[in-house]
Amino acid sequence: MSCWRQPTNSVGRRAWRPDRRTPMRESIPPETDIVIGIPSYNNARTIGHVVRAAAAGLQKYFPQFRSVIVNSDGGSTDGTREAALNASVEDAGLLFLPTPLFPVHRLSMPYHGIPGKGSAFRMIFQLARDMRARACALLDADLRSVTPEWIDMLLRPILFGHYDFVAPYYRRHKYDGTITNSIIYPLTRALYGSRVRQPIGGDFGVSLPLIKRYLARDDWETDVARYGIDIWMTTIALAEKFAVCQSFLGAKIHDAKDPSADLSAMLQQVVGSVFTLMREYERVWLQVRGSQDVDIFGFRFEVGLEPVPVNVPRMLGHFHQACQDLKDVWSLALLPDTLAEVLRLDRAAGESAAFHLPDELWAKIIYEFAVAHRERAVERGQLLRSLTPLYMARVASFVRETESVNSADVEEKIERLCISFEEMKPYLVELWTRNLEGGARHAQPSSAGIQSAGAGAPAARMEVKTHD
Amino acid sequence: MIKALEFILRSTLDRLSAQAVQYLPSILASLIILLGAWLCAVCARWVVQRAFHGAGIDRFLRRSGLNAVAGGAFSLGATRLAAAACYWVILLAGILIALSTLNSTLLSRVTERVVMLLPKLVTAALIVLGGLWLGQYLSRSMLIWACNQRLKSAHNLAGLVRIAVIFLSAVVAADHLDFARGVFLSAFIICLGGLVLAISLSIGLGRHEILNWFYRREDQAEQAGGREWSLWNHL
Repeated sequence: MSCWRQPTNSVGRRAWRPDRRTPMRESIPPETDIVIGIPSYNNARTIGHVVRAAAAGLQKYFPQFRSVIVNSDGGSTDGTREAALNASVEDAGLLFLPTPLFPVHRLSMPYHGIPGKGSAFRMIFQLARDMRARACALLDADLRSVTPEWIDMLLRPILFGHYDFVAPYYRRHKYDGTITNSIIYPLTRALYGSRVRQPIGGDFGVSLPLIKRYLARDDWETDVARYGIDIWMTTIALAEKFAVCQSFLGAKIHDAKDPSADLSAMLQQVVGSVFTLMREYERVWLQVRGSQDVDIFGFRFEVGLEPVPVNVPRMLGHFHQACQDLKDVWSLALLPDTLAEVLRLDRAAGESAAFHLPDELWAKIIYEFAVAHRERAVERGQLLRSLTPLYMARVASFVRETESVNSADVEEKIERLCISFEEMKPYLVELWTRNLEGGARHAQPSSAGIQSAGAGAPAARMEVKTHD
Repeated sequence: MIKALEFILRSTLDRLSAQAVQYLPSILASLIILLGAWLCAVCARWVVQRAFHGAGIDRFLRRSGLNAVAGGAFSLGATRLAAAACYWVILLAGILIALSTLNSTLLSRVTERVVMLLPKLVTAALIVLGGLWLGQYLSRSMLIWACNQRLKSAHNLAGLVRIAVIFLSAVVAADHLDFARGVFLSAFIICLGGLVLAISLSIGLGRHEILNWFYRREDQAEQAGGREWSLWNHL
């Protein structure tokens, strides 16, 4: 049971503007308990399923709550908004859905500002705050594996627990989410000491206090407005000590979204957001050593996953070319020894079967880029875009090493990478703090820093627990 | 004969001594001014170096990103650059003042010309410096973009961008100085026209090859890895 409505003028008029093209049947209540936000851009094929799953989830698990589903659209031209508005839960009886006390309201409206997922989230948050929603769940519009249970898993820890932020915990194909696996998860875990496995998963649950905190910030017009939004939300929740948990959602299967997007721009936005927040929260992460598990709700099970094809020779070709072309740019970001190691790898790139980029070297590369980003050794956009070929090399190495292993072994491999990041953290701290004190950038860290990295290893290992 | 020779020598010496008496004070004044200017320049250089070090200008430029914006040009040392500029400006001013004390019409005219030209020279130098910076910045952006697009001639493209920007700034600077204006402007127009013509011809004549190359590449990608690896899968 649901009804289609447009927001009245009394609800957050300054925050968002309803689209006059959509018919307004009745006004929505000024207050609600739950907001489900679905940012979209040309997702006509899949958004109907997401809206149906969300509506069914609300009816099934939260029939006693007032709820609104909000589609925040980026100007789709393929009828996404119409698809969202026309989707309805059929055969409620067959789904054993109870009769809700309140109807599930639904809105679809375009957001304003910088085009991107972050701007869409901003509008949803403003709406949730103005409607005094107790909890807000965010779902990607391209999901094909979303079920009504996702709504329960994302909202229940907030509504019935003491949590402010629910991160997703999916089963994904070993080559899906490579930015997460190669950079964002190990780096976030080493920095803030919390093992949030999918920090940029895209589907989250957020409490009202955290929504207010997000909206109080003034960096919405940066990369946060685009792909940087996911890691921005997770990092703020972790760094500002909000209660964070994870919910197991099963498989994440989604459409190839925005295939025209440029990978280096995507990498720039995501990694740039992490590096920018590193500067803001340096007092937090400089104190952190090792990492702790984060609660995972839900019954975990194995699922079949769609294979993700990869083209390793193409990636290695990219890396090889960059070693010729971008050597000078990298020399401004990387320390001489690290650069020499990277260039040595170039010789191995010819024999793709034997290509291997060690975890420790990868951690050093990321840490040195973070320091270069802070120091503006190169213009930041150029610096982050020049990371793309190195990232390609890392992914190629990962693919080569995990070609014939199962998902459990892949998780083990990612765990080892995370431990390397944690063990190398004293190296980052030394580079970072020396830079704070105005030290010479291109001097190699003292042996004390390296020794402390080694000395810190057992402690870091002691704290590491594998995900069950 | 001897008397005549003695007379010539004496008159020559008299004339020389008279000229020396006439010019010596001016020359001495010039030398003193030069010496003073040099001392001032050295002192100013020292003061600027101390002030820049004390204020942490190099660190500020590095942290504020101006160093990166300038393509690393300041990494040579903003302090050293500013101190050297200060030194040479004071020394040049001293030389001009010293020359003006000689009361020579020619030297006065030269001094006047230099003084009149100085603002234009400074402006032209700033234009060229701006062009050098912009050329470096744009060429690096082009290099990274071309490399990420896997274009084979990334370095050549970057070099082309840099040369074009620097050449453009040189044309503007020459125009500002009224120096060989016609030559620079004509060269610029000829180059630009030639470039446009070359691009038009290459597109017109090679469109079939370009399309074939594009389709071939697509086919290779399809064969190599099935459907192209989705960017979205990276996240």
